[in-house]
Amino acid sequence: MRRALWKRFDWLLFALAMALSVFGVVMIASALSGNEVLAQWPWRQAAFLALGIALLLMAAAFDYQLLGSVAYLIYVVLLAALLVIWAFGTVSGGAQRWLAFGDFLLQPSELAKLGVIVALAHFLSTREARGRLDSILTPVVALMMLAPAVALIYLQPNLSTALSLLAIGGLMLMMAGMPVRHMVVLGLAVAAAAVPVWRLLLQDYMKDRILSFLNPTLVSTADRYNIDQAMISIGSGGWLGRGLFRGSQNQLHFLRVRHTDFIFSVTAEELGFIGAVALIVLFGLLLWRLTYIAGISQDTFGRLIVVGVTAMILFQFVVNIGMNLSLLPATGVPLPFVSYGGSSLWTMLIGIGLAESVAMRHRRFGFD
Amino acid sequence: MQRKIDTAQVRLILLRLAVVAVMALLIGRLWQLQMVQGEEYRILADRNRFREMDVTAPRGVIYDRNGEILAQNEPSFTVMVVPADLPEPPEGSKEDPAGAVLDRLMALLAITDPLAGSPTPTPTAQPTATAPAKKDPAKQEDPESLFAIHEREPWIMPRDEIETAIKKGYIGGAYRPIRIARYIKDYQAFAINEDLVNLPGIQLVLEPIRDYPTGNLTAHLLGYMGHIPEGQLEDYEANGYRRDEQVGLTGLEYSREEQLRGAPSRQTIEVDVNGRRVRTVGEESKAVPGLNLYLSLDMDLQRAATEALQEALDNSSGFTKAMEGVVVALDPRTGAIRALVSLPAYDNNLFTKGITDEAWQALTTDPNLPLFNRSIGGQYPPGSTFKILVASGGLQDGVINTRTLLGDGFDGRNDGIISLPNEYFPWDRTKDQPFYSWIHKYGHGHGLVAVRDALTVSDDIFFYQLGGGYREFRGLGPTEEGKYAKDFGLGELTGIELPGESSGLIPTPKWKRINYAENWLTGDTYNMSIGQGFVLSTPLQMASATAAIANRGHLYRPQLVEKITDADGNVVGKLEPDLIRDVSVDAANLDTVREGMYGAINWPQGTATKVKVSGVVIAGKTGTAEFFRDNNKDHQPDRDDKGNLPTHAWFTSFAPYVDPEIVVTVFVANGGEGSAVAAPIATKVLEAYFHGQGEQQAPPTTEPTEKVTAAP
Repeated sequence: MRRALWKRFDWLLFALAMALSVFGVVMIASALSGNEVLAQWPWRQAAFLALGIALLLMAAAFDYQLLGSVAYLIYVVLLAALLVIWAFGTVSGGAQRWLAFGDFLLQPSELAKLGVIVALAHFLSTREARGRLDSILTPVVALMMLAPAVALIYLQPNLSTALSLLAIGGLMLMMAGMPVRHMVVLGLAVAAAAVPVWRLLLQDYMKDRILSFLNPTLVSTADRYNIDQAMISIGSGGWLGRGLFRGSQNQLHFLRVRHTDFIFSVTAEELGFIGAVALIVLFGLLLWRLTYIAGISQDTFGRLIVVGVTAMILFQFVVNIGMNLSLLPATGVPLPFVSYGGSSLWTMLIGIGLAESVAMRHRRFGFD
Repeated sequence: MQRKIDTAQVRLILLRLAVVAVMALLIGRLWQLQMVQGEEYRILADRNRFREMDVTAPRGVIYDRNGEILAQNEPSFTVMVVPADLPEPPEGSKEDPAGAVLDRLMALLAITDPLAGSPTPTPTAQPTATAPAKKDPAKQEDPESLFAIHEREPWIMPRDEIETAIKKGYIGGAYRPIRIARYIKDYQAFAINEDLVNLPGIQLVLEPIRDYPTGNLTAHLLGYMGHIPEGQLEDYEANGYRRDEQVGLTGLEYSREEQLRGAPSRQTIEVDVNGRRVRTVGEESKAVPGLNLYLSLDMDLQRAATEALQEALDNSSGFTKAMEGVVVALDPRTGAIRALVSLPAYDNNLFTKGITDEAWQALTTDPNLPLFNRSIGGQYPPGSTFKILVASGGLQDGVINTRTLLGDGFDGRNDGIISLPNEYFPWDRTKDQPFYSWIHKYGHGHGLVAVRDALTVSDDIFFYQLGGGYREFRGLGPTEEGKYAKDFGLGELTGIELPGESSGLIPTPKWKRINYAENWLTGDTYNMSIGQGFVLSTPLQMASATAAIANRGHLYRPQLVEKITDADGNVVGKLEPDLIRDVSVDAANLDTVREGMYGAINWPQGTATKVKVSGVVIAGKTGTAEFFRDNNKDHQPDRDDKGNLPTHAWFTSFAPYVDPEIVVTVFVANGGEGSAVAAPIATKVLEAYFHGQGEQQAPPTTEPTEKVTAAP
């Protein structure tokens, strides 16, 4: 049984995830080269990766179907964790997002994404089993489930993670088979909510970022600095880039938050168009592989878990690179697998592990 | 169930399509940024990391011909701030670490000298007159404290202006240093230097200011430096100047600006985001220091001339007290200026070290115009010194020869008066216009004389006749006279390389018709022939003309720079005599004039027999030029109690008589008699030239003789 299971381990998916992660470690090393204070961080990321691989394999080995019974429990525990942070978390960079373990700061909101995925997948699969997917109550209840997590993360404040939760939920709803008319209604509801959200919920810095994105001339050079420098970094890369560890924007630190938010700019500057496209294609292959696994899942629960993971990676991939390319407003969304950060990397790798778990337990008589 | 799965599969396919679409969008955007606009961004990236640094070139030093320093660079400290290097407040916090840095800097700039115990002047405060600092004795300090050279007061940009400039800097060029304080005191600079670790973004640099050790003595020659005049900013910028650069504004500092400035260079360096130099790009480019100028000027002579002239002005007892005078000494063999004094003068250090409004006001409103270099810009009737040119022309034109006798006596009376018949009523002797010789006041004339004696005694009657004719004797006439005067360089710029030269005036009949709407009369020629009337000359022009007579016919452009060296001492330029023209008077005729000038000093009846320098034969010509002024505003020319007009005193001379090497021309405005006032000054200058301290102090060399005795 075990051996048979591991035979179906999706090595391509694993290889793609590993390629992206190792790529990330290399780019982080380049982004932080010359920085004596953070000299150890590429190694830390490598260590996170090693631990993350273990987590991936554990998640893969674990039968996802067993998660169904504890899905809500996991979700409630995560909500509790978010509450704890809200009360006692470590403040850094003006937001309360972290739980400190020594000098390692765990970011539970990252892991919360996985909780949301599992809980929603369980909810939607049970709704489908009962034939209630067509009901308007399904999306309403799903959104109500999401609401406390989104609210707690939003209050940290961490708009981008809150948004990514909504994006994950939305995509899962769509992929679960929500009728088109409900999607339209939901879309209209979101549009209607936009004005009160802008007025009441968004904080000034969030509004500023959105405004500065919509109308760059409104903001001063100082405020646009990060985005401008990212554009310069990317643009100056050319075909083959300035060479690894040789990008002037990166190495001379004109580019800020290089090892996290703007790691894609570092890639585009140092490895050029070829390198950046390769990175995008790697993501494309990974996402394609995930949708393939979703397609061969033996049950709806598994399929929706993989869809959730896909949604999570897709959302962050688009938002991060879109921000780097000045297609989207500046947000602090890390690039999956590549950006520096243990919590993020682990979340992604566990997500891949869950997908592997689904892949290993797919229909015995599949198409392949 | 089957339908549901189908729906799921369809939606997965849609998801895949969405992924592909997103990838295409991102790659398309990437293509746009990297392929289409790549060049622009590459330039922007280079602009980020490459910085042009000004590498300033030390300005050339000016020496006299013996190596005495006339203009040099004095170190001075400047404080600059680089906006990008100022600390930034953490996001969202209300702290202002950049403001704290400025506060700290301001506190250091406000340090009072523990020794002086007086508060450091702020930009708004009046400069405190500190105890008289040690002064170079060469700097002739004006006794009035108004013109005292204070130690340059610190200039500190007001705090709000600094903040505005920093804000502007963040947009324009966050890495371009902004000068926020200059000329700060040494102890302030030391305090700031010690505290630089706590002052991120603050830089302390040495920027020299110009110092003129010889001050008043050479101010008219050297000029001074200052900020680029508002209207010329663009011209200077087009030539590679910074807007805040100091440039030569007048004198040699102006005319030799290009050579003195050298070539400040720019060095491209690669910097990181904090503006720290990562590496120097390309070859280390060094600024080329300005060239050093060795003037032909002899400071010993300049000093002696200044002292002699000042003494004469102080002791003057002419019509009214004389305030202005000029001494020009030049080498007739080359045109090299040896001394050029114009009094009153000013201290050019005032301009480079910070002039007070009061001092500026006083300088510019002084009726004696201390800023005016009258040696080249002042136009005066040359009086009898002009006769040497009239004599040259008369001889050359054949109007007279060396033995032609003219002068008093044609009318039967040797009384120093010549009566010119009225041009319209020549038969009516009551309408005759009398012209006087200076000797008239002694009750007699010079009688009939030949040209040498006429020059020796300065016989006005002789020159009236030579110029304007008398009865059947046809004179030179105004046109020919003017032609020769111009040939000797009068009426045109000498071309000396100092700004502010005047060309003087040699009148012609046409000129008179145009300017006075009157016909030229013989009387005008008479006046012109003794250097009166409309003739105007600058002292330098007279010196230059004298040189042309002394060297027997070569008119040279007066020059000031004898040698140009680069910073390593290599000679890159030497004075080459610049011949304007050979005058159209034969050397033999000039020799006759030289003999007349010899007589003026060495014959008993000469006008300047007191000019004596032992061992040197001198030749010269005095001049006493009447001029009109109306100081009491009665619309009549001022006259003294004997009815005489005020006079300028002139004396122009050369020595030695054989192979002359120095020409000395002295002019004292309103000085009185040339022989009494100007000639003694020239004597002192010539004395200093031939028997200056340098020669007297040369110790006799005893060493060779000892060696000889030691030899077997």
